[in-house]
Amino acid sequence: MVITPVHYIIAPLIAAFAIPLLTKIHKDAARVVPGIVLFYNVIVSFVLMKHIREHGMISEVLAGWQAPWGINLVVTPFTGYLASMVSILGFIIWLYGFRFKRTLKGGEIKFYEILQMMMIAGSIGIIITGDIFNLFVFIEIVGISAFSLTAFYRSRDGAEAGFKYLLIGGFASAFLLLGIIIIYTQTGSLNMAQIAERMPDVPQQMKIIALIFFLVALGIEAEMFPLNGWAPDAYSQAPTPTSATFAAVVSVAGVYALIRVVYTMFDVEGVNNYLMIMGFVSMLIAEIAAISQKNLKRMLAYSSMGQIGLVLIAFGIGSKLAVFGALFLMLNHGVIKSLLFMTGSYFIYNTEDKKIKSLNGIYKKLPFVSFLFGLGALALIGFPPFSGFWSKFYILMSAADEKYIFLIIGILLVTVIELTYYLRVVGRIFFAKEEGEPASHKPSVNAIIAMSSLALFIIVIGVYPDLIMPHIQSAAEALLDKSNYIQQILSLN
Amino acid sequence: MTEFQILFEQHKDLITIAVYGTSIALIVIGLYAVLMKKHLIKIVIGLSIMDAGIHLLFVAIGYISGGTAPIFSRGNENAGARMVDPVPQALVLTAIVIGFAITALALSLIIRLYKHHHTANIDQLNSLKW
Repeated sequence: MVITPVHYIIAPLIAAFAIPLLTKIHKDAARVVPGIVLFYNVIVSFVLMKHIREHGMISEVLAGWQAPWGINLVVTPFTGYLASMVSILGFIIWLYGFRFKRTLKGGEIKFYEILQMMMIAGSIGIIITGDIFNLFVFIEIVGISAFSLTAFYRSRDGAEAGFKYLLIGGFASAFLLLGIIIIYTQTGSLNMAQIAERMPDVPQQMKIIALIFFLVALGIEAEMFPLNGWAPDAYSQAPTPTSATFAAVVSVAGVYALIRVVYTMFDVEGVNNYLMIMGFVSMLIAEIAAISQKNLKRMLAYSSMGQIGLVLIAFGIGSKLAVFGALFLMLNHGVIKSLLFMTGSYFIYNTEDKKIKSLNGIYKKLPFVSFLFGLGALALIGFPPFSGFWSKFYILMSAADEKYIFLIIGILLVTVIELTYYLRVVGRIFFAKEEGEPASHKPSVNAIIAMSSLALFIIVIGVYPDLIMPHIQSAAEALLDKSNYIQQILSLN
Repeated sequence: MTEFQILFEQHKDLITIAVYGTSIALIVIGLYAVLMKKHLIKIVIGLSIMDAGIHLLFVAIGYISGGTAPIFSRGNENAGARMVDPVPQALVLTAIVIGFAITALALSLIIRLYKHHHTANIDQLNSLKW
């Protein structure tokens, strides 16, 4: 096998160092090279997925040290599924932003592209690493790129949002380090599989203390209530492709880290209920907050937090069907929310302020973008012919299997809330009285390709969910089969 | 044994308590500064102090009293049991670099904030609200 998991990380790192030099040769290198790298990551994903379907999981050892001692990169059907999803969405987001940032000066575009690429590469690193300290390093790579990108525009309140995010992120890294210290003293290992193997011998109170540190630290990245105060500010102040990346890539990586810690490393009773309750609370609060938003991007940010809450609920239920639904919803959330951010940003571009009330009748100006936004909104709410329906359906089914009546009522109630605020926006776009002059910013060709491919995915998966379901099925099985994971890692190499 | 090492052996427990106590105290001081101080620079200093405390705690955990440097050398092949744990030291080096990057980024953001709002008081930075 020529392509190995480490290519996911090496290619962006080499490119990040090479881009400043390459821009000396040609000024467009800063925009083109990240695209090549991200496309290469997509190829790596396909090759690796094919390989693990035929030969079982991959655990790649770095620097020649065997698994419990050295750092290993693990591609199981579960991590492979998430890594493929993240790299494909990352490439589409790059495609969308390719000409969007053409107005920027040479130096700024360079920093933007490098940081954006490192954020996606770091998220893939979080997903495929098998070592908790390596996880910490990747979380910091994502964090530092995300803080800088949030503060990218000098003219907006970006610095304030970025500083807020940085402060919370600094807390998260401190707590994560404390959790790692406790785990290391108790198990004497940093390898996730070996920690999971030795976890039954750890005293209960140590387990709980370490778990609390991990939950707080990773909950911040995963936007879990009450640690998500940074999210609306960061989403609304960052450049649009970055907002889409936060929703589609970074939050997916955060949820992955949380789930890996809770499902594989720890075996504490009752943490599932905690996930379920916190997911429920964050969903409810985020969706209620979304109703009262006047700014379109903030509304989408709150909606994104609500979706992550629903994912956490499903992981909290913990049955196989629920995990299946949660993984499906993570994919749908990434695709649909990227589409909504991409289309929403063209609306914002064509209005003086970012307010929802100035979207009146924008359908006449931007018919295609409005159509895609409406499609995304319907898919997110969960209307039947679209992909969003299936994930919500499976989560509700799993809740019904476990007889969580209040959960079902809550999820349906939240769906009504979502319906209210999305249809309010869609109604303004399509049916309100038009005012003002024709659109000044038409979508560029590459943006149309990016948005259409996402919309196509929503429709195709909505009609033929069987195309993707086997992958999610094996991903869910791989996540739940903890003993197999431990055995494979510790004896594979 | 030098005089210092003898002194060290006599007060081993005291020194252990002092190291752990210092690290916990640094973490608490840092937390206090981050949560209670209003000046942005002071908050960043608090974050750095908290990081320093965690790093000290991590190195202290890897230490065994009377241990040697974790290097196998000729004539010293059986030293494995008396070596200090090298893993925390390697991790702390990485964590220090990351902490440095975060501090540098925070300070540059503060400069940007000061130019934008003409204040470094966190209470007056409230243009972003729910």
